[in-house]
Amino acid sequence: MSLTSLLKTPLGFLSAAAVALLAAAPAVFKAADLPFPANTLLLCLMYGILAMAWNLLSGYGGQLSFGHAIFFGVGAYTTMVLMLYYDITPWIGIVAGGAVAALVGAGLGVPLFRLRSHWFALATIAAAEIFRLSFIPWKWIGGSAGLQAPIVPREKALYYLQYAGSYVYCYVAMLFLAAELVVLHRVVNSRVGYYLQAIREDEDAAMAMGINPFKYKMIAMVVSGFFTGVGGGIYAVRFRFVDPFAVFDLITISVYIVVAGILGGMYTFIGPLVGAFVFMPITEYVRVYVVSRFPRYYGLHVFVLGVVLLVIALSVPEGIVGWLEEKGYVRKLKERW
Amino acid sequence: MLVSLADVARAIVSGVLIGSVYSLIAMGLALIWGVMDIINFAQGDFMMLGAFTTYWLLELAGLDPLLSLPVSFALVFALGVLTQRVVIERILQAPMVSQISATFAVLMMIRYGAEAAFGPFTRRVVTSYTGTVLRFSWTTIPLTRAIAFSISLVVAALLYLFLTRTYVGLAIRATSQNRMAASLMGIDIRRMYMLAFGIGVGVSAVGGTLLSTFFPIYPEMGGFFCLIAFIIVVFGGFGSIFGAYISGIIIGVTEAVSALFISPTLKDVVAFLLFIIIILVKPRGLFGARM
Repeated sequence: MSLTSLLKTPLGFLSAAAVALLAAAPAVFKAADLPFPANTLLLCLMYGILAMAWNLLSGYGGQLSFGHAIFFGVGAYTTMVLMLYYDITPWIGIVAGGAVAALVGAGLGVPLFRLRSHWFALATIAAAEIFRLSFIPWKWIGGSAGLQAPIVPREKALYYLQYAGSYVYCYVAMLFLAAELVVLHRVVNSRVGYYLQAIREDEDAAMAMGINPFKYKMIAMVVSGFFTGVGGGIYAVRFRFVDPFAVFDLITISVYIVVAGILGGMYTFIGPLVGAFVFMPITEYVRVYVVSRFPRYYGLHVFVLGVVLLVIALSVPEGIVGWLEEKGYVRKLKERW
Repeated sequence: MLVSLADVARAIVSGVLIGSVYSLIAMGLALIWGVMDIINFAQGDFMMLGAFTTYWLLELAGLDPLLSLPVSFALVFALGVLTQRVVIERILQAPMVSQISATFAVLMMIRYGAEAAFGPFTRRVVTSYTGTVLRFSWTTIPLTRAIAFSISLVVAALLYLFLTRTYVGLAIRATSQNRMAASLMGIDIRRMYMLAFGIGVGVSAVGGTLLSTFFPIYPEMGGFFCLIAFIIVVFGGFGSIFGAYISGIIIGVTEAVSALFISPTLKDVVAFLLFIIIILVKPRGLFGARM
């Protein structure tokens, strides 16, 4: 379908308008000096990247991962180490972080894909803990104190990807998100995507049809790991600081990703991105406007997120986009493109 | 590093003592897992609530931890029954994703609700006998840990008697073996599930109370103990409550003895590696019969 005819459908027009708004937003926020919306937008985009990547393995492939912090952390550390120790620009570092995370995914897949359903989920939690605990005493990469990037002179800002505020990083995240959307759209609408769904629905039946579950789960894990690692790299350059507690965190990384995925709709293409754009503003609002002002109530933002997750799990398990598709408000993306 | 035999003996004793508390937390998890086939990720946080109940009763009413023990069981039992009715009952037949995310949601609400309410501070339960130690020729044992060990044994024995000697206990076990058959025999399944979940989290809360007498408490403490409880339950064969008790002690001893040889962080790495290896190689655990 050509772009002009896409614009004529109401949903196509809405999506185009949303993309245009999104592209203009960081510039507007910068001009108006609004750091909070810019920070929130960056987190939406970043968790969008992570949740979309997670959904390939856990949504399409049905292999529920609670350990995506592994890829996130590995990506963040790779970007940081390449920049600090080898003076390599994060433009390469972020992609390299994704590549290392993909390798880690392939390595983890070998033992973990022997497990099914909740055993796989439990093993991913344990694996993430192993990563976190092993990075704490690892002196070369800063141990428990972590790694901090120094401030660089302005003329090197582009090389070291170091800018004040979240504004520029929003565009960086959008760039990688766009690349991810293209890759994932191709993957899920290819043989790999259909085989993954077959494996999710009934692994034994899929095997009987001649599908090798291990091979396709592995492809999903590698692609998923890559983009999660890229998300970690973006985090590292934005916050200029990584430590094992933040980047391998079970709740704020692994579970947040799952929440975004489930909230938006696991079995849909765009759902996880929508989920990230719905839950991140809520939790960021509570964190910045309630918790920061009343530090006494630290933890409230995660509590609120727990309530959101509970409501979704109990009443709309198919997620926002899944629900819209079911009601016929949106057609499935596959049929439209 | 030179480790003498006496060091090992002392490590074994302290491992048994701490392991007996791990066991209580794990038994609750195993009971719920075995009866309802629900993995309760919030188990450690119910335990934390038990610990905080003890703390507040001591601070506000001056109640000794040993006296607040039944209160902590009762309160968390009630909360467990409520959780069962509001949350768990609605996800029993749901896909795994909904089940896991619902118990994770309960975890986030309890853990961070407690953090928002009590503040992220570390607290200690201090009583008149907190510093008392029992002296033996070759080792010393803190009185609080000895008490915790004895009570843990009593609670485990009571749970055993309840599940094997009483009508309700038998009904709970029957429900876990075959839901349909049990309901045809006239057992009220809903009530059994409420009881099982309430008792499951209540027993863990007793573990929390005992732990609080010698261990600093903070709202996020449940995370570590929940992971330990998972390792124990898997090691003991999931669903096997008494397997969980024995393997809790084994894990406690392993942990204490390995601390003599390797650093504390690596010690936990070993535990999690073991966890993955066990579910890969021997998913039914060491005592893998169902209850």
